[in-house]
Amino acid sequence: MNDALVIIPALNEEKSVGDVIAMIKRAAPVDIVVISDGSTDRTAAVARQAGAFVIELPMNLGIGGAMQTGYLHAHRLGYQYAIQIDADGQHDPADLPRMLEHARNDEGDMVLGSRYVEKTSYRSSASRRIGMVLLATLVRIAVGYPIYDTTSGYRVVNRRVIELFSRYYPIDYPEVEVLVLLHRHKLRILEVAVEMKERQAGVSSITMVKSAYYMLKVSLAIILEMLRKTSGKGRLRT
Amino acid sequence: MNVFVIVALFAVFFLIIVTDLMRRRVLMEQYSLFWLGMGLVLLILSVFHQWLNPLADLLHIAYPPSLLFLIGFLFLFGIMLHLTVVLTRLTLRSIRLVQELGMTKAEMVQMQEKIMFLEGNQHDNKTIERA
Repeated sequence: MNDALVIIPALNEEKSVGDVIAMIKRAAPVDIVVISDGSTDRTAAVARQAGAFVIELPMNLGIGGAMQTGYLHAHRLGYQYAIQIDADGQHDPADLPRMLEHARNDEGDMVLGSRYVEKTSYRSSASRRIGMVLLATLVRIAVGYPIYDTTSGYRVVNRRVIELFSRYYPIDYPEVEVLVLLHRHKLRILEVAVEMKERQAGVSSITMVKSAYYMLKVSLAIILEMLRKTSGKGRLRT
Repeated sequence: MNVFVIVALFAVFFLIIVTDLMRRRVLMEQYSLFWLGMGLVLLILSVFHQWLNPLADLLHIAYPPSLLFLIGFLFLFGIMLHLTVVLTRLTLRSIRLVQELGMTKAEMVQMQEKIMFLEGNQHDNKTIERA
């Protein structure tokens, strides 16, 4: 058993998940868990074949519920570090050793793989960029320092964050909300530049129709997060 | 036959239904208190509707039965808010259950593989001993 666990949530990603696992194994000495979130294709079989530990959820929970399963698993088995990587191949495992190194040096409780902190070759649509700028502004107000790529799903976290996430993780669209959650718990976020590739297969879970709901939900979540206090009275534990 | 009689009859009928649902354990007591409260308040106010008039005057409601409907509406708002809170709790619980089930199943598969591996080794040892 290694001290770092890669968590790959996957919903019907049979085309890409095998390659992603193989690339991660070549890149760094880590354990890999794939959370098949109610997949109806061969995702679980392909992932098992590629050498990952596979947790198959009997029904679809959505990205937050699936991701938290990975954190629960990491917490129970006592992993020191957990890494989130998408199953669609857009995160390059070549960046993983460097991100893990930052975490091991305790430069941040979460190391965030970012497309924007330096010039990388990633490009996205105009409407998507506007949305991201809006969210980044809101997050900046909430945490007090700039985080450039708030929606990046490429993340390395340490033991403290694993413990926190095993207790609470947002159900849907968790990426941005989590940043403010960490800030409230006085945990540090370090943003480092990574390469993002075009996804190998599948489409983004955020379509144009869902964009408005996405913006509304995430903004509300950030504002609510700002209204919470960590050590106050009441029934709030996370 | 006026509106108060209708509301009173409705309230009685409603209370009987709610009580029967609780009797048959189709409705849990904790979720029925709101309904019982609403039924009783509507029943009392429609039977003793002379109490409504001063209250309606106080609130500048020209048509006193409207107050009855307002009270009913407010109860419904309360009930619906309560329901969504309960729904949220149930959602979070079912998510955790699905997570636990998935993890337990995965651990079971892993254990089965280990057992098969060990049994295989045992088998190999025996054949070695025999040889």
